[in-house]
Amino acid sequence: MFDFAFDTFSDAMIMQSQNGQSHGPYVWLVVAIVFVTIAATFLIYKYKIKKISLKIK
Amino acid sequence: MIKKFIHQFASPKTYLYQVSRAYPYILFVSLFIYIFSIFWGLFLTPEDFVQGNSYRIIYLHVPASFISQSLYAGMAFASVIFLVWKVKLSAYLIKSIAPIGAITTFIALVSGSIWGIPTWGTWWAWDARIVSTLILFIMYLGLISLHDSFTNYDKADKFLAILVLVGSVNIPIIKMSVEWWSTLHQSASITITEKPAIDPSMLYPLFGSIIGFTGIVICLVILSSKLQILIREKNKSWVKDYV
Amino acid sequence: MKILYFELLKLRKKSRGWVGPILVFVLIMTAFPLTVEFLNKDLDQAFFSVLWIAVMLVMMLATEDIFLEDYNDGTLEQLAINDESLSFVISLKIFIYWILIGVPVSLIGSFYGFGITGSLDLALYVLPVLMITSYIFLNVFSFGNALSLTKGSVLGTLITMPLVLPLLVVLGKVVIAINLGLNYFGFLGLLLGILSLIIFIIPLIISFIIRAHLE
Repeated sequence: MFDFAFDTFSDAMIMQSQNGQSHGPYVWLVVAIVFVTIAATFLIYKYKIKKISLKIK
Repeated sequence: MIKKFIHQFASPKTYLYQVSRAYPYILFVSLFIYIFSIFWGLFLTPEDFVQGNSYRIIYLHVPASFISQSLYAGMAFASVIFLVWKVKLSAYLIKSIAPIGAITTFIALVSGSIWGIPTWGTWWAWDARIVSTLILFIMYLGLISLHDSFTNYDKADKFLAILVLVGSVNIPIIKMSVEWWSTLHQSASITITEKPAIDPSMLYPLFGSIIGFTGIVICLVILSSKLQILIREKNKSWVKDYV
Repeated sequence: MKILYFELLKLRKKSRGWVGPILVFVLIMTAFPLTVEFLNKDLDQAFFSVLWIAVMLVMMLATEDIFLEDYNDGTLEQLAINDESLSFVISLKIFIYWILIGVPVSLIGSFYGFGITGSLDLALYVLPVLMITSYIFLNVFSFGNALSLTKGSVLGTLITMPLVLPLLVVLGKVVIAINLGLNYFGFLGLLLGILSLIIFIIPLIISFIIRAHLE
């Protein structure tokens, strides 16, 4: 169950499938978008809370 | 005793203190589970026979899609609580969940579009599931605009709750769209009544990513509700003590 | 009956309120074949899409200030404190709008259907669908306008459009059902079911919203 699906780092980046297509760009693009969106949301809320806390003080 | 507990927890002050204490633990645990599940799904699961490696987007797309609908259902529940029992905290929660719902729906739409390119050969198709998710996204934006257009918070809360309830008719339509209409989108891999249509080696990281993402979204809702409470209750003395 | 007559008279007198949307509908249905270089056989395929969208837009236009005038001149406030149920008056108001705008638009749409497709059967099948759908649209857009009563109709449109889009999907299926002779009465039953729910629930919700506005 815990066998690595890819042998090298570049294989993992490219993620070439059996049909010959490289799916890596699509997968990594989605990973980047999801993590950046979540991180940005956290940062924005933290900033807004800090701003209003200073205002209240 | 239950009534006392609900009454106590329904106070914004108690809610804020309690969730602020729980927040770091929930965040740490859910981030760990999410990142581990994503790692598992991306590197440790075998390639899919039909979709190749592009199916790995499932570990990011499905949690977002599931949460976006669940958040709306949560808002509908909070709307009922607010309209029937006039619990102020419910109104704050509805307002704070809306932007998070919009963000998760955005993630679902974008990840789905990108997944569609290698799978269907197109980033967009006017099929029932995709269009109904787009409708959900527009609804979230509409909810945010409606509340922000009113300066009177009491009116804004009431109208927001009503619109959430009326719009909740869209949720079963999204859920069942892949069953009711013949669409490009695959039908549910995990159902309550049937055996999962997905291999266990792929199923477990999927569950993990759903649980992890749920925890992350709960943390975002906590932050958003904290902001709402600070804005709305800023003149109360306990808020000054809290900050 | 008095309220019905009063509302009918009010809308009839405000001719731009009901003639305007009908004229806009006629304009859309007349103009669309001029703007596309379809062959005749393709025109009837595009026709139904344009028809549903035109009906939706016209009902949106028709309900733009359905409650605004009454809110501004205090009529809504009077109605709210009267013995008559506010939700009943609202449902009558929407019914009047349907009689003066929805029904003519449905008849004209059906007539255009006959003109473009040449099929009387098709036109007769489409007519009840149009009548039910226009009533549903009127209810939904009235709800949107009630929510955004003092904020302009654009906000109301934005927030109620997502509720109407699934209905457009169903209408697309109705056209296929009519053309292939499949399950037309099933879809008609579905639309009637939606209407029968909406016709009771929406006026209740609108009356609650209006009372909240008046507080």
